[in-house]
Amino acid sequence: MNNRKPNGLVSGLIIGCVIASVFWLLRTSPHSGAAESQTNFVVPAAHPEGKVTVWSWNIAAKSLQHLAPQFERTQPAVKVDVDMTGARMQTRLMLSLAAGVGAPDVSQFELTDAPRYIATGKLTDLTSVAERYRSRFPASLWDNCTRNGRVYAIPWDIGPCGVFYKRDLFQRYGIDPAKIETWDDYIAAGKTIFQRSGGRTKMLPLGSNSLRPMFEMLIQQNGGQVFDDQGRIAINSPQARQALAVIQKMRAAGICSDIALWSQEFLAGLNDESIATYPIAVWFAGTIKDTVKDFAGKKADWGVFRLPAITPGGLHVANLGGSVLVIPAQCRNKAAAWAFVEYALCTNAGQLEQYKSMSLFPAYLPALETPVLDEPDPFFGGQKTGRLFATDVTKISRLNRTPAWGEAIRYLDQELSRWAAGGMQSDGFFENLALKMHRRLDLPIAPPAVAANLAPQSPGEPIRRRPQ
Amino acid sequence: MSAPVLPRTPRQRLRSEMWRHRHFYLFISPFFLLFAVFGLYPLLFSLYLSFVKWDGMTAMQWVGWANFLSMLDDEILRRAVENTLLIGMLYVPPMLILAFLFAQALNAQWLKLRALYRAAFFLPCVTPMAVIAVVFGLIFSAEKGVLNFVLLQLNRALPFLHLQPIPWLTNESWSKVAVAILVIWRWTGYNMILMLAGLQGIPADYYEAAMVDGANGFQRMRHITLPLMRPTFRFCGLLSLLGTIYMFDEIFVLTSGGPGTSSTNVGLYLFNISFNDFRFGYASCVGYTIATFVFIGTLILQRRNRREEGSV
Repeated sequence: MNNRKPNGLVSGLIIGCVIASVFWLLRTSPHSGAAESQTNFVVPAAHPEGKVTVWSWNIAAKSLQHLAPQFERTQPAVKVDVDMTGARMQTRLMLSLAAGVGAPDVSQFELTDAPRYIATGKLTDLTSVAERYRSRFPASLWDNCTRNGRVYAIPWDIGPCGVFYKRDLFQRYGIDPAKIETWDDYIAAGKTIFQRSGGRTKMLPLGSNSLRPMFEMLIQQNGGQVFDDQGRIAINSPQARQALAVIQKMRAAGICSDIALWSQEFLAGLNDESIATYPIAVWFAGTIKDTVKDFAGKKADWGVFRLPAITPGGLHVANLGGSVLVIPAQCRNKAAAWAFVEYALCTNAGQLEQYKSMSLFPAYLPALETPVLDEPDPFFGGQKTGRLFATDVTKISRLNRTPAWGEAIRYLDQELSRWAAGGMQSDGFFENLALKMHRRLDLPIAPPAVAANLAPQSPGEPIRRRPQ
Repeated sequence: MSAPVLPRTPRQRLRSEMWRHRHFYLFISPFFLLFAVFGLYPLLFSLYLSFVKWDGMTAMQWVGWANFLSMLDDEILRRAVENTLLIGMLYVPPMLILAFLFAQALNAQWLKLRALYRAAFFLPCVTPMAVIAVVFGLIFSAEKGVLNFVLLQLNRALPFLHLQPIPWLTNESWSKVAVAILVIWRWTGYNMILMLAGLQGIPADYYEAAMVDGANGFQRMRHITLPLMRPTFRFCGLLSLLGTIYMFDEIFVLTSGGPGTSSTNVGLYLFNISFNDFRFGYASCVGYTIATFVFIGTLILQRRNRREEGSV
C-alpha cells in the first residue's frame, strides 16, 4: 500500500503534462487560413471544366437539380452535382470550413446567415467577377452579401411580402381588399370579419411566440434598424416603437390567432375558416398550394393583396427570407463554380427557369421585368401575383445584417414574446432590449440621434448606405 | 538477441508482464482508442476552449479567465439555472410518486396482462420527439388545445369554479408547467421500471414476517416498502435532476425556451450559445462550470447517503 502515493503523483503529473501539451499544441496550431487567402478570388475561364458540387436544401436544391442539365448544355465540360444535404447542413458546412477541407464548391446560405460566414474570411472574394452585377440586384440584398466593399455572395431569391387572403371570406363579410391601404384599415377589416363571423374567423395568425417576422416586416416599411451602418445597436428608435405600436394595436383588437408559426393550427387555417389572411412573403404561395392539396373537402379561394403601409402613402413592401449562393475559399475549381453560380443567379434564363419550376422568386432584377412575371396564376383566381410581388422590390429597405444578427434577433424574439406574455407593457421596451444586446453582444449602442434619423427618406427612394 | 534478464524492480516486472500479455491488451485496446478519440480528446479540448474565444471558423483567441468572469453577470444563464431548478421541482416529485404508484400496481400479484401495461407505460420514452411535439402542441394550444377545450367544457358544466382557458405555452409561468407535464408523461414509465426493479428486490420474507406479526397494509408500506425503496428513490431523483439540467428536446420542441427565456434550461441555453451563436469558447466554459457544480453536488449527496446508510 505504501507505494501507492508516489504512483498517484506520477500519474497526476503525466495527466497534467498531457493536458498542458494539448493546450500548447492547440494554441500554436494554425487556424488562420492564410494559405487559403492566396487564391481567394475567381479567375474566370472561357471554357471551365470539371465537377462542381453544390450543397443546398429543400425546394432550392430541387430547383438547382432541375437547372443543372440546362447549364451543362451551355458548358459541356462542367458537371454539376447537387447534394440535397437537408438537416444540419449548417453544422457540416461550418465544420468543413473550419477544417479547411470537405466543403462543397458552391453552397447555399440563408441571406440572414451570410454576413456571419462572410466575416470568417472562408469564402471566395467574388468582387472581380460579380461587381458588374451590383445594379441588377436590389440593394437591400446585395449589401448583405458584401463586407468592406468586397462581394462574397450572390443573392438568389427574394421574399417580397404581401397578404394572402381568402376571397370567399372577404366577400361573405363585405370586405374589399382594394380598400385596405394601411395597417389601420387592415385592423378595422379584421374587426369587421371577427364580429360578422361571430368570433369564428380571426384576421391573422400572430402568436406571442412568433411576433418577430411581423416586426421585421414593419421596420423595413418605416426604415427602422437593429444595427446602424457601423454595426452599433440602433434598435431603440422611433421606427421600432412605431412597429411595436402597430403589433400592439393588432393584438389588442382581438383579431390575432395566438398560434405559433408553422404549427398544426397555422397550417389547418389554410383551408378552414379560422384565419382570414396571412401577411407573409411570396414563397408562402408554395406552402399554401402544397398544403391544401392534401386537404379533403372544398378548397378555400385564395387571393393576394399588397402589404398595407404603416401610414397613408407609405411603403407597401418588405422582405422575409431569401437565400444566397457562395463559393467556399477552399474550392479548387473556382472558375467552374463561378460559371454555374453566374448562370443560375445572374442570367434571365437561369433565374426564370427556377421561377417557373419551383416558384423561387428571382432576386435578379432584369428577370422581374420580363413578361413571365405577368402570367396569371390560376390558383389565385387568375391574379398576376408575380407582378404584384415584383412591384417596388428595389424600394425594400436594407436591414444592416451584421455577423451578430442571428444572436440579436434571438434576443428580439425573446423580448417580444415576453412583452406579449406580460400584457404588452411597451414603456422602456427598446431601452432594455438595447441594453441587453449591448451586454450580450459587446457592441456599443448608437447615439439616439443616429437611431432617430435612421431612415425613412421619402417613401419611394431606395434607401442607400449612409456616408461613413 | 540477448538472453532474457530476470526483472529486478517492480516496474521492470510490470513491463515484462505487460509484454507477455500483449495480446490481451491488444484485444481491449479498441475501447481505449475510441475513448481517447471520442471521450478524452473532446473533454480536454473543451477544457481548452473554455479559455478561448472561438466561432468555430476563424482563429482562436486566448482570453484567459474572461469567459468565466462574463458568466458572473450573464443574466440569461442565471435565468436558465433558475428555470432548470424550478422545472425540476415541478416535475420530479409528482413523477416519482406516480412512478412508485404504478410500479406498486404492476407489482400486485392479482394483475393480469402485466407485460402489456409495462410496455404501455414505457412507450412514451421511446416515442420519437417529433411525434410528441405535434401531439403536445395540439394538447397545449391556447385556442384549440384539448386541455383548454376540457377546461371550457368543465366551466360550462360547473360555472361556479370560474375556470379559464390557460395560456400554456404563451405565459411565462405556465410554460414551465407545460414542460413539466410533458416530461412527467414521457419519463414516468422509465422511472416506473426502475422502481419495479427496486420493489422486486425486496425479499418477500419481510412481508410474510410482518403479516405474521399482524401488520396491516399501511404499516407494511410505511415500515418495509418505503425504507427499503429509499435508495431507488434517491437514484431516480438524482437521475431526473441531472436529466433536467441537460434536458433539450422536450423544451426545444414544445416552447423553444420561451416565452422570453421563461422555459430555457441549461441544456437549451448551451445549445443556443454554441450552435446558434457559435460562441464555442464561452459555451465550453459554461458547460464545464455546470458540470463541475453537478459533480461536486453529486459527491456531496453520495457522501451524505453513505453516512446515512452507515448510521442505519
